[in-house]
Amino acid sequence: MSSKTASTDTRLWDKQRDTIHSGKGGWLAGKGVFCHGYSMLDELVGKHSYFQVMMLNVLGRLPERRLADWLEAAFICLSWPDPRIWCNQVGALAGTARSSVTAAAAAGALAADSTMYGARTLLEGVRFIRESLADVEAGMTAGEIVARELRRSRGKVRIMGYARPLASGDERIAALEAVTAQLEFPLGRHMHLAYAIEDILQREYDESMNIGGYVSAFLSDQGFSAEQIYRLCALCVTSGVVACYIDARDKPADTFLPLRCDDIEYRGKPPRNLP
Amino acid sequence: MQKRAPVKRRKENFAERTMTRIWEEQPADHNPYVATSCRCHGYDLLDLMAERSYVDVLYLLFRGELPTEDQAALLKALMIGMINPGPRHPATRAAMNAGIGKTDPVHILPIALTVMGGGHAGAGDVEAAMRFLRGHLNSDPAQVAADLLQQESVDQGGNGQCAPPGFGARFGDIDSMAQRIADQLLALPGSGPGLRWGCRFAQALADHRSGWLNAGVAAAVLVDLGFRPRDGAGLFQLLAAPGLLAHGLEQANKPITAMPHVDDAHYVIEDR
Repeated sequence: MSSKTASTDTRLWDKQRDTIHSGKGGWLAGKGVFCHGYSMLDELVGKHSYFQVMMLNVLGRLPERRLADWLEAAFICLSWPDPRIWCNQVGALAGTARSSVTAAAAAGALAADSTMYGARTLLEGVRFIRESLADVEAGMTAGEIVARELRRSRGKVRIMGYARPLASGDERIAALEAVTAQLEFPLGRHMHLAYAIEDILQREYDESMNIGGYVSAFLSDQGFSAEQIYRLCALCVTSGVVACYIDARDKPADTFLPLRCDDIEYRGKPPRNLP
Repeated sequence: MQKRAPVKRRKENFAERTMTRIWEEQPADHNPYVATSCRCHGYDLLDLMAERSYVDVLYLLFRGELPTEDQAALLKALMIGMINPGPRHPATRAAMNAGIGKTDPVHILPIALTVMGGGHAGAGDVEAAMRFLRGHLNSDPAQVAADLLQQESVDQGGNGQCAPPGFGARFGDIDSMAQRIADQLLALPGSGPGLRWGCRFAQALADHRSGWLNAGVAAAVLVDLGFRPRDGAGLFQLLAAPGLLAHGLEQANKPITAMPHVDDAHYVIEDR
């Protein structure tokens, strides 16, 4: 612990004051555009997919094409054009209110930064499957892990990566499993455990893994941290949000689920005069 | 890969209508979509416009009752104290970048407020600061500080990242303006146990170049005014919004050369 002295050491900030030190890359006029050591226009454009470059920017290393293709497939599963989904409804409301498509996309992405759905849930989903795997490797069984989690949630299935709002079961997993097989990814330790946990939940509680649980286990098997996975999936809902924005934007203003005054139930104080 | 269970809709009991205790709108006889009167927690909006201050109605919106004179004075003073994070704050700089970059002006405030939501010198710390203060009001602040210091919890790197939420250091030092704002607020009759505890706690940190941060000051006042911790982040953004917008708009009509642009000589691409 430092004690008070006459002059503060500000060297940390002084050396950053007028200089940017980038660990990522940048544009140097006349020399080129650089991205993690690659010449962007010579080595990336036309040679690698957008998702590979997006992953390069997040991870700092260029992934193999099939992994980027897998993530792209996962993005398709993670966003669909149904405005009843909360982030998509934000997009639709932006459309009916005549906001710009960019504002709608940004607002929808922010809406999905949620502890209930969207990319943020992957933080907890990855933490769960990683810690559970460590527990299994230390001797616990999948059954004991499920029992422990249920005790924590007073008997309810509240395990991130399992069960989901609105429905039981998750049709997206089968689609992504097919992609996993098609791209010839083997099942890793996290995925084996994720399935073992799902077996118990299906058999005893009629609940199953959700797409977030599948993505968490698969990407954990690829060696990514929770924070890396959250960053990779930051914009995963954008496609559906934009679709719902456009659907509402191309119709008359105020026609997306318009509300009459009495469609809002007021349960507050009765009319009163100011003191 | 294993056998997938069929997807079934849950039988959840969703509300038929959205409920609110805040706002009541009376429909026009000729059109149920058009409101002819609005009431905020029972008070007619036009009466509030005529007879009460903006601060009173802001308090009413969140707390459900009008503030006392002391409460209103405390909230008003906080709103002024926090009205502008200043042109060096990352959120303000985001606003100015948007302005000088000719971003659509309707986006300047949302952009800045998003940055203002960060956990360092921003709204992201306020809820946790309110919980920290509420959880320690019955403890001796000097002892709490001593315990934290002993655990090396007060960050030595200069930015208070390990300090309790709402407290710490800016650029290696006590944030003097946050301290002065807190002292001025403490002198108001509406100040309460949150501000008093926080001031004593900040005093206990002072020898270690730590003290109040703006998020902590706002948190303490919001605790004293009875706001809930979950209200804190958004209210802090609201308090800072005028300054953020003013700085962004100030740049909006200027050429891009009106702000510094780092040249290639000062742009270092590091090898990793």
